[in-house]
Amino acid sequence: MASLLELAEVTVRYGGLNAVDNVSLSVRPGEVCAVIGPNGAGKTTLFNVVTGNAQSTSGRILFRDEEIQRLSPHEIAARGVRRTFQLGALFGELTALENVLAGLHTEIESGLLGLLLGSRRARAAERAATAEARQLLELMEIGHLADRPARELSGGQQRMVEIVRAVASKPRLLLLDEPAVGLAPPMRAHLESVIRSLAKERQTGILVIEHAIELVMNISDRVIVLNYGAKIADAPPAEARANKAVLEAYLGHA
Amino acid sequence: MSGEGRAESRRSASASRPRSGRLIFWLAPLALLPLPLFLNQYQQYVLNLILMYVPVGVGFNVVVGNLGQLAFSNVAFFGLGGYTAGILMAKLGLPWWATVLPAGIMGAVAGCAASVPALRGVRSFSLAIMTLAFGELMRWTYIRSEWLTGGSMGMAVPASDLFGWRLDLESHKFYVFLVLAVAVVIATDRLLRSRVGRAFIAIKDNEVAAAAMGVPTGRYYVLGLAWSGFVVGIGGSMYALLVGHLSPDSFNLIELILEFAIIMVGGLGSLAGSVVGAVVITATPEIFSNFPGFEELIFGLLIVLVILVLPRGLASLLARLHPVFRDRYYEGA
Repeated sequence: MASLLELAEVTVRYGGLNAVDNVSLSVRPGEVCAVIGPNGAGKTTLFNVVTGNAQSTSGRILFRDEEIQRLSPHEIAARGVRRTFQLGALFGELTALENVLAGLHTEIESGLLGLLLGSRRARAAERAATAEARQLLELMEIGHLADRPARELSGGQQRMVEIVRAVASKPRLLLLDEPAVGLAPPMRAHLESVIRSLAKERQTGILVIEHAIELVMNISDRVIVLNYGAKIADAPPAEARANKAVLEAYLGHA
Repeated sequence: MSGEGRAESRRSASASRPRSGRLIFWLAPLALLPLPLFLNQYQQYVLNLILMYVPVGVGFNVVVGNLGQLAFSNVAFFGLGGYTAGILMAKLGLPWWATVLPAGIMGAVAGCAASVPALRGVRSFSLAIMTLAFGELMRWTYIRSEWLTGGSMGMAVPASDLFGWRLDLESHKFYVFLVLAVAVVIATDRLLRSRVGRAFIAIKDNEVAAAAMGVPTGRYYVLGLAWSGFVVGIGGSMYALLVGHLSPDSFNLIELILEFAIIMVGGLGSLAGSVVGAVVITATPEIFSNFPGFEELIFGLLIVLVILVLPRGLASLLARLHPVFRDRYYEGA
């Protein structure tokens, strides 16, 4: 299996507009790909079509050689795909810890009957997951937030919790939608090292939408540039930076 | 460094307290055991009414408070449970105890039916109206099925016993009801303090993000409403035994509002709140029944006051007293 995720000529049409226009791309395990482009270029729609939140009009999407374009979001998630959301999407009433546990939903093995009868196995599974979730928060240096309701956390803290929630289940493919927004510089550096170690140590394939250009240059193996839904560049960071079409799309002139 | 260590030990202490604190689920009912000895017949009846409203409130709250859906089909589950018990006893001669599970199952089936609009994407006010219509449709069905339910005149539920132990005495009903109410609370507590309970809240807070975590949201709508229907249906069978008479009017909109008041006053999305709400809403009119004409006024004022002062219900007071009453959607340390 050469590529983890493969998009072949994918188009998403909203009315007369092609939000994603005939895009082909592939992500290998352990590869970090940045997705950049001006506002409205179709970056988030690209994420949505991979996670099943938007339907493709044409084209094929393969995850580990399986077509997933007709699967529902939870089925795609169950195959090992996790994402964060541009505007942040924590479960506000749950604590940070419970949010991470919700991210472990598919990993906790407990049947309904076992839960109702309070079976030892179901309890052990819950306890193990709880310990794991606490540890993950500690690793991200936000262990002290574990028992706070998510809605009481600051914007930056919510971002970090959301990232922990997304990586808790050890996904094969991770999609981060503007993860650095609202993060203070030290947290940003921490985020960079987390992304790098996920790719190197766990061989997670990572797609990142990001406007912070230094972050993009620091972490990505490849930069994919979208403009008006179409892919205009797909190259290593330094090369993409020098690309004429990219400069035009960003600055309006070459 | 030492400060960090202290914070650490404080946190683990507060995390372990709820576990030992949960003994209250077993101790509180034990403390209630001698209660009927000190009460007269009427007071015993009110006590049983409270115990009956525990599963009814618990089930309603799972759907409205935890799953976050404005599904008002509760009174349909309640009535179906009641009529299932009554019909099985009156027409087939079954003893009451044998009708409890079928009543719960009928409620669960109705719960699955009530989840169909939610599965088709109906939410919020549209769901509220559709589920209200479901309750009224069931009431119409009881009225029209005269051969089975006695129509608008209602039907009598025969007296029953539990292997020779008379169940027409209020004090005897009390012990059976106590067992059922405790079982429903403990089972629901286990369900909510697990990935199931977290999934319910996740769906309420952000359905798209819940699905992105691999939560099959549709399945959890069905599960939430079916569990609600199951325990409320059991409450219905308790009603049949308690009152001894079933009529369509017992399952009308006024009844639904009363049940809604239980979870609002107790605290939406709080298991402890459902129990406290059942106690307060059931007992208050009876306490003030010595002031005829004023009881409704006092009752109404109480509801308005609680909701104004405690928007998260009486349960938020309890949560301040002891962390065991705070809702936690995980098990253990």
